[in-house]
Amino acid sequence: MSYMIGVDVGGTFTDFSVFNTETGKLFHFKRSSTPADPSEAIVKGIEIILKENAIKPEEISYLAHGTTVATNALIEKHGAKVALLTTAGFKDLMEIGWQKRPSLYDLLKPKPQSLIGPGMKFEVNERILYDGTVKTPLNEEEVVDVVLRIKASGAESIAVCTIFSFINPSHEKKIKSIIEREFPEAYVTISSELVPEFREFSRMSTTVLNAYLGPLMKRYVKKFEKTIRDVGITVSPYVTQSNGSIISIKETEDCPIRTAVSGPSAGVVGATYIGKQCGVDKIISLDIGGTSADISLIENGVSTLSSERLVEGYPARIPMLDIVTIGAGGGSLARIDAGGVMKVGPKSAGANPGPACYGVGGIEPTVTDANILLGKLNQKKILGGRMAVYPERAEKAIRDYICSKTGIGLYEAANGIISVINSNMIRAIRVVSVERGYDVRDFSLMAFGGAGPLHACEVANELGIGIIIIPPSPGTLCSLGLLMADTKFDLSRSNIMLAKKENLEAINGIFDSMLAEGTGLLDKERVPPERRSFVRAIDARYEHQNYEITVSLPGSPMTEEVLRDAIEAFHKEHDKNYGYFDRDKNIQIVNYKLSAIGDIDKPDMHEVSVDKSAPVPRPIETRKVLFQGAQEFVDCNIYDKADMKPGCTIAGPAVIEQMDTTIVITPEWTAHLDGYFNLRVEHEGGQR
Amino acid sequence: MIRARKADAVTVEIVGNLLLSIAEETTVSIIKSAYSTNIKERRDVSTAIIDPDGNMVAQAENLAIHLGSLLTFVKGLYKKFPRESIVPGDMFIGNDPYNGGGNHLPDIVLAAPAFAGTKLIGWVVNMAHHSDIGGKVPGSTSGDATSIFQEGIKIPIIRICKDEAIISSVMDMLLANTRVPTEHYGDLIAQISANRVGVRRMTETYEKYGDLLLECMVELQNYAERRLRHAISTLKKGVYTFTDYMDTAGPAHPDPLPITVKITIEDNSMVFDFTGTCPQVEAPINVPYNSLLATVFYSMKALVGADIPSNAGIYRTFKVIAPEGCLVNSTHPAPVGVMIDTCQRLPDVIFGALAPAVSERIIAGCNSACTTAVFTGNDPDNKDHVFIYHEAIAGGSGASRHSDGLSAVQVHMTNTSNMPVEALEFEFPLITIKKYALRKDSGGAGEYRGGLGIQREFEIMNDGVRYTGLGDRQKFQPWGLEGGRDGYGGAYYLHSVDGSVTHLPSKCTGLPVKKGDVIEVLTPGSGGYGDPVKRPPEKVLEDVLEEKVSPEKALELYRVAVRIRENGTYELDAEETKRMRA
Repeated sequence: MSYMIGVDVGGTFTDFSVFNTETGKLFHFKRSSTPADPSEAIVKGIEIILKENAIKPEEISYLAHGTTVATNALIEKHGAKVALLTTAGFKDLMEIGWQKRPSLYDLLKPKPQSLIGPGMKFEVNERILYDGTVKTPLNEEEVVDVVLRIKASGAESIAVCTIFSFINPSHEKKIKSIIEREFPEAYVTISSELVPEFREFSRMSTTVLNAYLGPLMKRYVKKFEKTIRDVGITVSPYVTQSNGSIISIKETEDCPIRTAVSGPSAGVVGATYIGKQCGVDKIISLDIGGTSADISLIENGVSTLSSERLVEGYPARIPMLDIVTIGAGGGSLARIDAGGVMKVGPKSAGANPGPACYGVGGIEPTVTDANILLGKLNQKKILGGRMAVYPERAEKAIRDYICSKTGIGLYEAANGIISVINSNMIRAIRVVSVERGYDVRDFSLMAFGGAGPLHACEVANELGIGIIIIPPSPGTLCSLGLLMADTKFDLSRSNIMLAKKENLEAINGIFDSMLAEGTGLLDKERVPPERRSFVRAIDARYEHQNYEITVSLPGSPMTEEVLRDAIEAFHKEHDKNYGYFDRDKNIQIVNYKLSAIGDIDKPDMHEVSVDKSAPVPRPIETRKVLFQGAQEFVDCNIYDKADMKPGCTIAGPAVIEQMDTTIVITPEWTAHLDGYFNLRVEHEGGQR
Repeated sequence: MIRARKADAVTVEIVGNLLLSIAEETTVSIIKSAYSTNIKERRDVSTAIIDPDGNMVAQAENLAIHLGSLLTFVKGLYKKFPRESIVPGDMFIGNDPYNGGGNHLPDIVLAAPAFAGTKLIGWVVNMAHHSDIGGKVPGSTSGDATSIFQEGIKIPIIRICKDEAIISSVMDMLLANTRVPTEHYGDLIAQISANRVGVRRMTETYEKYGDLLLECMVELQNYAERRLRHAISTLKKGVYTFTDYMDTAGPAHPDPLPITVKITIEDNSMVFDFTGTCPQVEAPINVPYNSLLATVFYSMKALVGADIPSNAGIYRTFKVIAPEGCLVNSTHPAPVGVMIDTCQRLPDVIFGALAPAVSERIIAGCNSACTTAVFTGNDPDNKDHVFIYHEAIAGGSGASRHSDGLSAVQVHMTNTSNMPVEALEFEFPLITIKKYALRKDSGGAGEYRGGLGIQREFEIMNDGVRYTGLGDRQKFQPWGLEGGRDGYGGAYYLHSVDGSVTHLPSKCTGLPVKKGDVIEVLTPGSGGYGDPVKRPPEKVLEDVLEEKVSPEKALELYRVAVRIRENGTYELDAEETKRMRA
């Protein structure tokens, strides 16, 4: 036997998805997380899985997990003692940043806390100009002197970033070799190796973040590898990156920053995979948990990437899935503000004190309380009967905090809470879709997380979306996504030159060097040649613009013809994004990008046969439910998902319960179970 | 259609969300399709939703200075075009800051009525900063204009579209009055198309909500009013006054220009009276009334409620009095091109007055200027190409009773970002940045230290470059509070290649500079809060290590002694500090 395991570490629970590659059976397992040392829950969980299922450790052929080490270190600010080494005149750049204040109106909002301690910023005299020429040469003696001072300061880690190093890295390379000679214990990141890209603040910030995380990640990797070996697992574990792919855990030692925002990415990978099963390739993914909702857009089966994002207030220039997170979840608190209007979230009751209906101390009303009162959630027990709930407490909370302050009735208030939280999610969905030029009605909504399927129909109704997909196990889609990832290295270089045939040789030179680097990385991952692919792209702009558009290129090398096509594609893309193009303007290429992709074995899920005449199962009960926009409660059949056979169709209004979620099918919607146990929920009118 | 609901606590929140998202979508649409950098990169764009009576209901603003810009456009429009005369397919344009339009002439406003059938259900109004609308200099805004007629074409409120079609005679007239007609046309089309997107969404919203939408528009204004009145009712009642000064308004007005305010806090309303402020000047720093309103609203948001929505309701809670013809309520034809300079100072004046009333949230005096350096020169390789490089350099933000001030930030009415050094040197190879650092000792000493200004050095790499610098808060330093010291004022220096150093005036236009010269710009810091001697010595040591405070000033102002260690860093001299502070 051979097994694949994906582990998703969340704030409250660590989820495991286990796939038996021979029987094609998939099962899930859950354990409380251990935030102090996340690997503890991972290893303990694996041990239990092995024991309970009589699996031998060497039968594990694949193990991937999303690590929260980097994320937590940044939130809790317990990274390494890091020193910055930069060009004379620029040591304050991390604090100056873009010289913007963090909030337009909140004058007391501080700048992000510095990652570099006082007196840990160092300068050396050197200066490279925009064309790579050296204005002030590096003085090696001075560098040695500075490195010794850094050593004496007690630094564990050094971030090196000098002006225009992306165009001429010689000074940074020299500095690195001096550090390796004089202070070999130090962890070093130089910007020209990590992010050889244009624009100094983002490059420096990414370099500092990486150096800040490096020593910690190194220790984690060492420890994790050992504990896994101690259990007897022989396979080398993978870790998720923020771009949704996986890399060997060893690789994260050099670039831990690539894992810093990987948290929600596995869910998006899972959503992409489920989309393929269902034959939909335009997806809005909506992952609603207890405190937040993660939203992303997937087009042609590929989720959109962004190349820069703020991490704890600092720009990180690393490719990552473009995910919008808002404070809207089951635990979001509802209140009436000083002007008499209802607000829901971003504050959440979290797990403690939790929603009022849990009866564990919460007294303020939450979204979950509203869903209980409206009959959408089971009014006796939730989580597959594991947890008792108290509707009378939900009612008291809503009466005390909403009704008494507004004069609106109990159920109107409960429905109002849902309207407001839905409208917050709808606004966020518009951000990833409409504001980026997509018509949201062309997309299917993939709803997951514990609370996604509860809100999906009503959110889709408001947006005019006609198809909703609910995966078989919405609560564990992230750990499933970990079984579905490829390995991928996104490489990038900056060198601003005109998109003209005179520069073809230079352009090819850049791509060739990246190809060599990418090949080396895939070698290290032991990806066989036939399973490798390389995707090239450029970031280009019209001369004098200060923002770029990404244009993908067909294979290599760059020929006159390819360049001509790329230029044409750029005009088109510019027209699509900005509403105009101009063939008379010169085009500059700014960044060169190459993704080196290794295809990794994935579970081969078996489709079971679908019985088109599968009967509607017997409801486990009926309950009165009040839907959005309705005036009165309606009797609603409640089904157990386990009773549904593939092929079976249930027309709304209905509620389908399962252990990890509750699926609400509103009137005018119909749910159909497919051969992979996905629910495809369609509006009467179909795609709208 | 949703008919049964009232404009209750839930519906108002949802419709408010919807209208704001319409405004945001309209703004995004402009940014996407516009041509000019001001719009695309600085996001100098704003959209508002206006009710059928001409009151602003929702606004998506990117810069605080836009807060007042769209307030009165439709009301002004109604004076000229009675409501009954407006029909579907109309669109209007205007830019006159003295007659409903934006902050200054480059801010062009486009207003589109939204109809459901023949019923007017509101307006979508957007404003964008155009890169050139004629006037005495390229870019239209000059530092030495003496009349608004030198600042570009003035567009009264007129129709630009009829029956959905652009009125070509109007467009022709506009395009004939700019140095960059292609860009200008592209930007206007972007504004017109964006308004159509907004109008379509308004109509869809009406189809869904019916007249409930109109009720919610009224209720949203009541809501903002209630929020602000509630916030005002928590303030300490009384009369508060303050005066701050602009350094100069250029060579024609070399003397300080006082800005005075008397603020009266009543039960749940306020009066801001600017009587006593100097008369308007023949220089472009005059402030039209709507821009003054923006500064007052910004100050209120900052002090009592950052999330109070921007709509007409809030203006019912306070009255703003400013004599006509004074610096902050100028009248035609006073130039207003760089009203931003004075608008940056106004919140400081208001904060200064309100310090005793809102002591929890007030911050000390800020850099409160728009310190700019502009370099122009010919491309040595291509004489036809003229380089223009414009940089606004940030400074300090004042300390509060809870925290140090922020260093190196844009404050108050603007929040635009810098140009990366690598981007600017690539685009403008005539300049190399020698230094871009925090300016030591520029933050006012205090228990909480003021934020630091910036020291930025531009090295000239070629002959034939000209320099223009406009700044303020060089003579009148950013003030401290509760015993906190003043921050440093700003300064401009020329370090000539021959070794001489010249202190340049705060307003300097077109100075020729040579290869090897260095222009040094020092921006103002900001005021400290509380007695510096109360600052914990460890914090002062940190400041010394960070080179934010020099060892000398640590001793002089904070009475903290530090000594140098063997490895070259500093450590606290605890005994000496104790003695000094005793």
